[in-house]
This record gives sequence, structure tokens and C-alpha cells, in this order.
Amino acid sequence: MRLIVYTVLWICVATGFNAYAQKPQKFIVDSTNVTVRHFNRASLTEYRLQKEFRYDAQAVDAGLSWWERFWLRIWQMINSISIGQGTGSALKYILLIIGVSAIVFLAIKFFGLDLKLFIGKPEDIPVPYEESLENIHEISFADEIEKAVQLHNYRLAVRLLYLHALKKLHDSGVIRWQSDKTNSAYVNEIKNPAKREQFSLLTRRFEYIWYGDFPVDQATFGQIHSAFQQFNQSRA
Amino acid sequence: MEQENFEHRTDLSQLNNAVTEIKNMLAKVIVGQQDMINLLLAGILADGHILIEGVPGVAKTLTAKLIARCINARFSRIQFTPDLMPSDVLGTSVFNPRQSDFEFKPGPVFGNIILVDEINRAPAKTQSALFEVMEERQVTIDGNTYRMEEPFMVLATQNPIDQEGTYRLPEAQLDRFLFKIEVKYPTLEEETAILVQHHQQNTAGQLQEIEPVLTAAQILEYRSQVRGLYIEPVILEFIAKIIHETRNNKSLYLGGSPRASLAVANGAKALAAIKGRDFVTPDDIIEVMPAVLRHRIMLTPDKEMEGLTPDDVITQVIHKVEVPR
Repeated sequence: MRLIVYTVLWICVATGFNAYAQKPQKFIVDSTNVTVRHFNRASLTEYRLQKEFRYDAQAVDAGLSWWERFWLRIWQMINSISIGQGTGSALKYILLIIGVSAIVFLAIKFFGLDLKLFIGKPEDIPVPYEESLENIHEISFADEIEKAVQLHNYRLAVRLLYLHALKKLHDSGVIRWQSDKTNSAYVNEIKNPAKREQFSLLTRRFEYIWYGDFPVDQATFGQIHSAFQQFNQSRA
Repeated sequence: MEQENFEHRTDLSQLNNAVTEIKNMLAKVIVGQQDMINLLLAGILADGHILIEGVPGVAKTLTAKLIARCINARFSRIQFTPDLMPSDVLGTSVFNPRQSDFEFKPGPVFGNIILVDEINRAPAKTQSALFEVMEERQVTIDGNTYRMEEPFMVLATQNPIDQEGTYRLPEAQLDRFLFKIEVKYPTLEEETAILVQHHQQNTAGQLQEIEPVLTAAQILEYRSQVRGLYIEPVILEFIAKIIHETRNNKSLYLGGSPRASLAVANGAKALAAIKGRDFVTPDDIIEVMPAVLRHRIMLTPDKEMEGLTPDDVITQVIHKVEVPR
């Protein structure tokens, strides 16, 4: 095999095979005359007189507004601070961070911004509805319950008792009243196990009467009323 | 305590006993997945079809088979494949040489509980074969209409749409499912329990222990009870407001249909019955809402790109509506 390869190579060389990488290139010489242009000295002098082209500090300062001058002073003060080598620039950045943080803090406080928007998902989804039912904070419960009892509307009276209990829990900070929460959500919000159990039973009674339309007579209402009173007093 | 004051208007004791018995049967084989089982039972009681979605290996088909096994009724299974034809599902007319006439051979859809496995692996042509039977409980072939025997229920399983070899189901068909139940991965404890159960090689034996608990007649009776449960008008209004909100929500391209409103009401009644109550509370509505809506609503393309899920939007929608109290 090797013999064949060598033979072929010898034939190629002997018969004068020539190989060229590429054709020789022609070089074109640009012989046109070049005209040298010079800067206009008069224009340069004119430009130098304009304030936009004067880069020395005093000249800049002279053309600045009061707000720009204020920031220039601040930066000059920061730059002038130097306590030993290396610590100066570090201190400069610390002061900058403190300054920026203070401005952000004041802006948040002033405009009442909600930081949770930037942190991630808000805990509570905002509820853009208008409350169609009555606001529990505006109801005069004693009067309304009395009225309902006088009209023998015990079902409504039980509902008012339940709303009153919710208001009391909200006022004492045990739950957070929000119209999109269900009764079970309120029950689960109560941390004290005994209270939670007690309120859970009251909730079930309310649900049977209000959602279940179970009839409630005077005697049953009396029991329920005292159970709610006991619960409210225990809260206080 | 409330039993002292309130006497039940509907006797749900037999229904509750049956539910407990089925749950106990299923617990012999299925570890955890209580929410899925509750919704499955609610779906049966609410007379609806159920779509179970989950990644491969989370016991979707097994659960459906076990549920069917707990019910003494005609069960049939159809494995949906890309080459399945409508006649493979519904049946076809075959020429009978003896009588010199065409004779109808019913397909596997003629049963009480139909397990449609991997439903989204068949193309739209085959899916459309189920439209009539799922909604009207009848099949029309060659001008003849064949009524399905009651109870009739389709239990379908599917992998999520982003999995290989799946088709998106037509909206019209999705709307015919009462619930879409999403099966999640088991918790760490549940996974350990599955391994222990498998290690002890109890599963096969326990599968044989599953016996029918309910008859078809009982199901019809319980369904009738569930239909008669009480819903306060304010609760109906609550359902309507939530469904209406889905139609006006900016994150949604398609909101809930009136059929969705009915599905919520029926599903909530069934859940209430399972809990031993003969009336519906807002909690029942909120519990059933994701299963009813997640396959019916469609997100706008931009919200889908943002990574929002139908369940996220359902939660937002529910929070926008005031709970009646």
C-alpha cells in the first residue's frame, strides 16, 4: 500500500504537476492629491468663549441653577471627606446609602406606599367591591335585635347576634373583619382553642338558622341569645 | 349541639353511611387524596361527569376503577388512543346476513359507569362522539336514538395538556364535565405510607377486598335526595355573582357558562349532603368552585404567558364577591 502511494507521488513530481495557492494579485496605487484641512482658529476661539465648552469648575458653577448648585455642593462635601486612605471612599458610599434610604423611607411614609407590592404576593387580595350588606361597624345591635325580637323575627335576631359577635371579635383584634371571608375562615382565625370551639358551635347554630332556614321559636332563641351573650362577655 | 335544637328535614343517614363505607373501601388501597375522593363522591351524587387530571402515576385510573367497583352497576372502560374512531365508542350498525338487515351493535359507551382513560389522547373527531351522550344521555346512530340506562356517568382521566401526545379537549366537551379534579402528588407521609403498603404487598389482596357498596337504584335515590336539599336565595345569588364576575374578569378570555352556575349549585348540594347537612353554606360553594370552573374558564394569552393559572384567577374572583351573611 505504502509502495503504491510513493509511486503515485513520484509520478506527480516527475511529470511536473504544479500547484498554485492563488493567482498573483495586482496592486492599485491611489495617486490622487490629498488636500490637508486645518481647524479654523477664529471658530475655536469663539467656541472656547461659550460656557458649554468651559469645563473648569468655576465656569460650570456660574451657569448652574440653585438646585444644580445644591447638588454640586453636596457632591463636593462628600468628595472632600477622607479619613485615612481607603476609608474615605467607603464612608462616602455609606453616607450615600444612608441618604438614599432616608429619602426612600420618607417617600414611603409620606405617600403611604404599600411595600408588599414590591416584596411579592400580597397576603390579602384587595377587594374592589362595594359592601352591599350593612356595615357591621355602623349597626346599633342592641336596638336592631330588640326590634327583631319584638317582631318575632327570631331568624333575623340570630343573624344580628352573630354579626355582633363578629364585630366584638374584630374590635378585640381576634379576627380581621373582611366581607369576602366565610364563617369557617373566622373560626380558624381564632387562636384560643376554647374560644374557637365556642365560636364554632355558635357559627353552626347561625348557619342552620340563616342558611338552612331552620325554624327558630322564642324558647330556642332564648337559648341561643344567652349562648351569644356568654361568648361576648367571655371576650370582654 | 345543634341536633338538640334542629331536627333534620332530610334523612341523610343512609347516604352518609354509604359514603363512609366507600371511603373506607378506598382507603384500603388509596393513600390520602381525600379531597379528590370527596369531590368524586360529590360528582356521583350530583349526577355529573368527572374529569380527573394529573401527571402519570398518581392513581387516577386506579381511583376511578375502585369507585366503579364500589358501585354495583355496569362498568365499561374505553382506552382513548389517537386512532380511535367514534364508532369504536358509540357502536355501529353491522349487516346481519340471516335477517338481511343492519343490526346495531352497541359500543362500550352503553353502560352505567364509563371509564374513559387518557381522554385527551384521542383527536377532536372522536371527542365529538361523546357530546350527545354526555349531555343528553342518548346516542343517535342511523336515525335511531338509543337512551342510556340510568345512572350514567363518564369518569375520564387525562394527563396535563403540556404532556407529550395529548390534544386539547374542545370547550364544548369540557363544559359537559361537572368537575375537573386535579390530582396532586402525595405528601411525604403519604408517599411513605404508599411504599410501606407496597412493601407489605397488601395492595393486590386489598383490591380483591373492594366490594360493591352501592347499587344503581341507591344512587338514583340519593341523587334525588341531594336535588331536594335547601339552598337559600342569597346563596344562589352568591353563585350567580361569582360566575358573572368570571365573565367580566380582565384575566379571562372565556368565563363560566350558565351550565357552570348549575354545576356549582348541584355540586355544593352534594358536598353538603356528604357533610351531613341538608342545606348549602357559602363554604360549600367556595370549596366546589375551583373544580367546577378550572376547565371552563380560559385565561387571556398574556395572563397565560405571565404564568397565571385558572385556580389563581378563581381565587381572585371568589375574593371579589362578598360572602352573604
